[in-house]
Amino acid sequence: MDKLLEILHELRPELDYAHNDSLIDGGHLDSFDIVTLVGELNDAFDIEIGVEDLIPENFNSVAAMWSLIQRLREQV
Amino acid sequence: MPFTSFAFILFLAIVVTVYYVTPKRWQWVILLVASYVFYLFAGARFVPYLVFTTLTTYGAAIRLDRINKQYNAQLQSPAHELPREDRKVLKIAAERRKKRVLTLVLLLNFGLLAFVKYFNFIGDNINALLADLGAGAAAPQLGLLLPLGISFYTFQSMGYIIDVYRGKYEPERNPAKLALFISFFPQMVQGPIGRYDALAPQLAAPHSFDYERAKQGIQLIIWGYFKKLVIADRAAIFVDQVITYYTAYTGLYIPIAIILYAVQIYTDFSGGIDIATGAAQILGIDLAANFRRPYFAQTIAEYWRRWHITLGAWMRDYLYYPLALSKGLARIGKWLRKKVNNRFGVLFPALMAEAVVFLVIGIWHGPAWKYIAYGIYYGLLIVLGMLLQPLSEKATAALHIKTDCFSWRLWRVLRTFALTCFGRYLTRAPNLGDSYQMMKLTVTEFNPGILLDGSLYTLGLDAKNIRLLFAAILVLLVVSILQEKGYHIREKLQEQNLVFQWAIMLAGIFAVLIFGTYGSGYDATKFIYELF
Repeated sequence: MDKLLEILHELRPELDYAHNDSLIDGGHLDSFDIVTLVGELNDAFDIEIGVEDLIPENFNSVAAMWSLIQRLREQV
Repeated sequence: MPFTSFAFILFLAIVVTVYYVTPKRWQWVILLVASYVFYLFAGARFVPYLVFTTLTTYGAAIRLDRINKQYNAQLQSPAHELPREDRKVLKIAAERRKKRVLTLVLLLNFGLLAFVKYFNFIGDNINALLADLGAGAAAPQLGLLLPLGISFYTFQSMGYIIDVYRGKYEPERNPAKLALFISFFPQMVQGPIGRYDALAPQLAAPHSFDYERAKQGIQLIIWGYFKKLVIADRAAIFVDQVITYYTAYTGLYIPIAIILYAVQIYTDFSGGIDIATGAAQILGIDLAANFRRPYFAQTIAEYWRRWHITLGAWMRDYLYYPLALSKGLARIGKWLRKKVNNRFGVLFPALMAEAVVFLVIGIWHGPAWKYIAYGIYYGLLIVLGMLLQPLSEKATAALHIKTDCFSWRLWRVLRTFALTCFGRYLTRAPNLGDSYQMMKLTVTEFNPGILLDGSLYTLGLDAKNIRLLFAAILVLLVVSILQEKGYHIREKLQEQNLVFQWAIMLAGIFAVLIFGTYGSGYDATKFIYELF
């Protein structure tokens, strides 16, 4: 979880990740941020986030991203 | 049957009446019949194209679903769970079969779109090349006419099939319901490009007549007509005159025409969308938003998030993300991070994907080099904007520029508008050579006198019409500013007394009837985006 926060802070330091649950729907992270973020997450957690995972619900909050990461780690 | 014809209003009135007297479970059938009747008016010979896309999309979606089901059954069939390795093998096999189906249906449909759009263009270029080489024309000319709305319904149905492929939702099992999703008449001419999960449930759902909704729909339609007939079609007269004879109207005439063209294309396109959205609203159906006051954008990237939103979203989900996340680009990005520069490496996949998206948007606009140049222009602006962002942040900080104030935002809005106007030189000129000449003539002649001596009244619009045009644009500006401030005009109107509400509506209707641009020599029925 710390690693995820670290990546997010590096990406957009000005955002308050702890209290924001509409990172995508609120327009705080744009498609460009998402692509950069996915690249970092894939490397850091050794997962493969696919295009089908790129829905707002998976990226709106830190908790949602964390559960996505967990889910992908368990998958084949 | 164009939106701006009396026939369309009559058609809509009949559809709405029949729709609401029909038993609710059959309402969707009325919409389907109405949509095909609407399409038949455009030309019976175009119907096979629409049916082809509907059938191939339907078949492919069902096939994809069957592969998914078989795969899931295989996973669960043995009493004990399959070992991880075997599951992986099954998964890869299923993915491969799904990919084959998807590739086929995409090739068929985008192939058809490309064929009808670009056949003549490629033929012309081959012939021109052969002529340059001294040979005669060889490539045949088919004289194909573009089927109405083919770009828009192709994008919409291909978005659906990719979503089914990705497992976002179950496919539609009723071919007639899918046919309605693809052909729903308000949006099929020029969008907005709808998403299946947002639109299809609304189309199938029962709807009771709602007076307030209908009234809001009618208001939106009137507003759309105002934009299209009072502003766009009036501005078009001036713009067409200057651009057609630009060598006679040099200097300041050209940028004025280009700025008016920016107004024209926005009011033409968004006016048409308003009419479509209003018509759907009367039927109880909400279409996706396609514009959010694009000329108030502070950056080019933001402009593209406000202009033709559903196309941008389509490109993001179905082209940009797959490209930016592709393994090939990720590998190059990683290599660049190590060897060249960390930030550049991180940005690289997104930048490349961005560039491809804009090239595709350019090519989509039409079979001409100028549109390709236009795509490259915006691609470059976005990529440069991204790369230079840290530098510009440093510069504003070093120069102690206040960035949280109206004047700075205004400057950014005007700068963005100017950049989009530059892009319009590329698209509005007949071809690239002309747009270069127009740019040159803009800066090599200095004639501010034309602003005062009445010269502007000689370009197809007399003094009265020019004043009217400016008054109408002012109304649009005020309304846009109010909307930007979060003021919901139609909802506020709802709170007023009935007399006032109807006074405003009638004023709108009369404004359109009296000040709309009609008459000989100008074809008010054409929408610019119909041709894309």
